[in-house]
Amino acid sequence: MVGSVGERQRAEPRGLHLVGEEVYADWEAVYRDNIGRIHRLMYAKVGNRPDAEDLTTEVFLTALRPLRISASVGEVRSYLLATARTVLADYWRRTLGREITTLDEELGMSTPEPAPTDPTAPARAAAILAELPERYRRILELRFLGACSIKEAAAEMGVSIGNAKVLQHRALRQAATVAEGMLS
Amino acid sequence: MKTPVWRYVEDLLAGRRPRRFRPDEDDAAQVRAAILLRAAEDPGEPSAEFVASLHDRLAAEMDGEKPANRRRFVKVTTAAAAAVAVGAGVDHVITDAVTAAAPKDQNLVPDDGEWRPVVASADLPDGSVRPFDLGAVAGFLRRDGAEVSAVSAVCTHLGCRLRLDAPERKLNCPCHRTSFNVDGSLATHELPVAPPPLPHVLARESNGHVEVFVPPSA
Repeated sequence: MVGSVGERQRAEPRGLHLVGEEVYADWEAVYRDNIGRIHRLMYAKVGNRPDAEDLTTEVFLTALRPLRISASVGEVRSYLLATARTVLADYWRRTLGREITTLDEELGMSTPEPAPTDPTAPARAAAILAELPERYRRILELRFLGACSIKEAAAEMGVSIGNAKVLQHRALRQAATVAEGMLS
Repeated sequence: MKTPVWRYVEDLLAGRRPRRFRPDEDDAAQVRAAILLRAAEDPGEPSAEFVASLHDRLAAEMDGEKPANRRRFVKVTTAAAAAVAVGAGVDHVITDAVTAAAPKDQNLVPDDGEWRPVVASADLPDGSVRPFDLGAVAGFLRRDGAEVSAVSAVCTHLGCRLRLDAPERKLNCPCHRTSFNVDGSLATHELPVAPPPLPHVLARESNGHVEVFVPPSA
């Protein structure tokens, strides 16, 4: 019942309220409908659960209280996403002092109801891995996709642990270069 | 190989909270690539425990609201303040919106209020800006020399809560990328029509504290 709201809203100028839009019954409905998408989004942007959970918590603690319950489903989602964007930016500023990842793509000005997750992550990762030399690709697959320890990965590839570490380091650097190249 | 960026990536791979460090450009790119690869492996569904525990925390938070108390607010005197109250919806109810003319001085003044201390004077040094939230009124306090002042923390566009960017001295709206200067004037916006400046909240110093004028507590 909620799915069509974003579609309708997208066609409208921003800031206008439509008559008869879907609204949430209460804050718990807002929570149930959005907890999954906000957490998935944060996980995709920070890559670990402890931080993804903290940031998701921060989004809901920040956004839920001042939220107008009369706002449409689309507006609520946009608001949560917008809050997530600032929360993520603050997180990077606080931790690494650089914006490593952003929610800017998800929150383009022209799309008030953007995609709630990043379905392209596996595709992008595959594209990056495909660009790497065989051994680089292999070590990253073993470590990142195969959940191998460095020791297991080394054994799998028939190299010493020290070599595996060097390989991983170089592979990730090259993957980073490839990824940057794809963005620009 | 125990470089900070190596440790960071190993923390990610182990599912731990990664340790902070100051990455250079090259490190940052590696961290970014590592996060992308992690996200490719795991769609990041929240755990049931987390969903339940955050729910409980929010429930406690939302129960702490006192709607009856909040509704005693507000007498507003300008169109801009009316926009604030409309945006804030259930939390802030207008009882009297007087004029729609472009206002010069927007003040958010309760018809029946009291001075409430927000922060010790010493904790608001010259040039600083601090957020405050007293339930019915949330805003940002600021000191310029001897003068203290406060503006509302609610965007005059659709009522989203503004966030302080202290280094830039801006109040940013997370909803539509509007930003205000800390004195309440509009800084930037991407809206068809410029939103009004932020209403001021009355503020003063008394007995070593900075106080704001807000509706009385129930």
